[in-house]
Amino acid sequence: MSAGFRAVQWNRDKLIYDAILAAGVVAFLGGFAAIAGRIHPPNNLADTIDIWIRATGSCAFLMLTIILCIGPLARLDRRFLPLLTNRRHFGVLTFLIAAAHGWLMVEWYAAQNALPDLVAEMTSGKGYDRFIGFPFKMLGLAALVVLFLMAATSHDFWLAFLTPPVWKALHMLLYAAYGLVAMHVALGIMQYERTVLIPLMLFGGCGLVSALHLIAGLREHRSEAGTPVNAGGWIVVAAPDDIPDRAARIVLAPGGERIAVFRNGDEIGALTNLCAHQNGPLGEGRIIDGCVTCPWHGYQYRLADGCAPPPFTERLATYRVRINRGMVEVHPDALPPGTPAAIRLSAGTN
Amino acid sequence: MTRSHRFVHRLIWPALPIAIALGLTMALALRPPPDPPAATGGKP
Repeated sequence: MSAGFRAVQWNRDKLIYDAILAAGVVAFLGGFAAIAGRIHPPNNLADTIDIWIRATGSCAFLMLTIILCIGPLARLDRRFLPLLTNRRHFGVLTFLIAAAHGWLMVEWYAAQNALPDLVAEMTSGKGYDRFIGFPFKMLGLAALVVLFLMAATSHDFWLAFLTPPVWKALHMLLYAAYGLVAMHVALGIMQYERTVLIPLMLFGGCGLVSALHLIAGLREHRSEAGTPVNAGGWIVVAAPDDIPDRAARIVLAPGGERIAVFRNGDEIGALTNLCAHQNGPLGEGRIIDGCVTCPWHGYQYRLADGCAPPPFTERLATYRVRINRGMVEVHPDALPPGTPAAIRLSAGTN
Repeated sequence: MTRSHRFVHRLIWPALPIAIALGLTMALALRPPPDPPAATGGKP
């Protein structure tokens, strides 16, 4: 959290996550190279490099696909949340694999004393007016630049420096990078390799990412539909017992902002649904050790006033809540961050 | 996700998959035919 700077806040879970990630990447690359080398034994250095270009390219595309699936999967099923916790390390490793893919391509030209051809291809400015024949390497390079920007700003220092909304907007460029990579493959190797595996990989990956986002979005839309608002502008949430203990109901305020209404035993409180860290969906988290805990990275806040427990300093906007005719209601006007606003069912109000 | 992020997300999402699907389909449909097999000493 926010007390002091550390380059990487390692813990046991992160080490296990990274070890599994690294092992998966090594197994994929090794397996790919072994199978490809057996099917098409390399005759020279350029052939060997070509195998590794394909291995790293496939690996990077697969990793990007998985990264983009983690978000909607975690929304659809909480068991995927551990994958989300350390997604930034996944992203940085993806950039490194993609960078290796680019570097191997340069080596492939160098192995054939053809570097001037590569320079000419990248700088001639030809082919931009065609679809088939478009300089696909430039699409890959553009995607690599986006991945570099994301990897370089992945640390919490940049998150704090840029502020969470700007940082999040920057990191949403990953969708553009994915599209660029898909077209890099489609206009590149798919044009001269007749294997069905490449179209399968592209359509399967893009289809899976799209379908998961669509399903998660529809479910979210349905859960927000029909939030009743009474005459005083208070939003009717639910009966107290219908808010799961140590969890929340998320309601949509008329302005479009989301409010997370939590119940912790007989205490009811409402906080903004945006975690102060990465704007994660706080209302999808749980109350752990008496604090509202963000499902993404475990940032914690007191339900009573939206403040992180000492020594941490984050504070969230809170909302007034009340019990009216047996129903919990929340007022959509946000209170200043850190304002006590929770109530106790046994006492009526706080 | 803030309200503005959500707005952009919902604006982009319908367009991006359609554009990518269209691009992939065109790239697949328009790719050149494979090279003809090398001549192997057929009829004179």
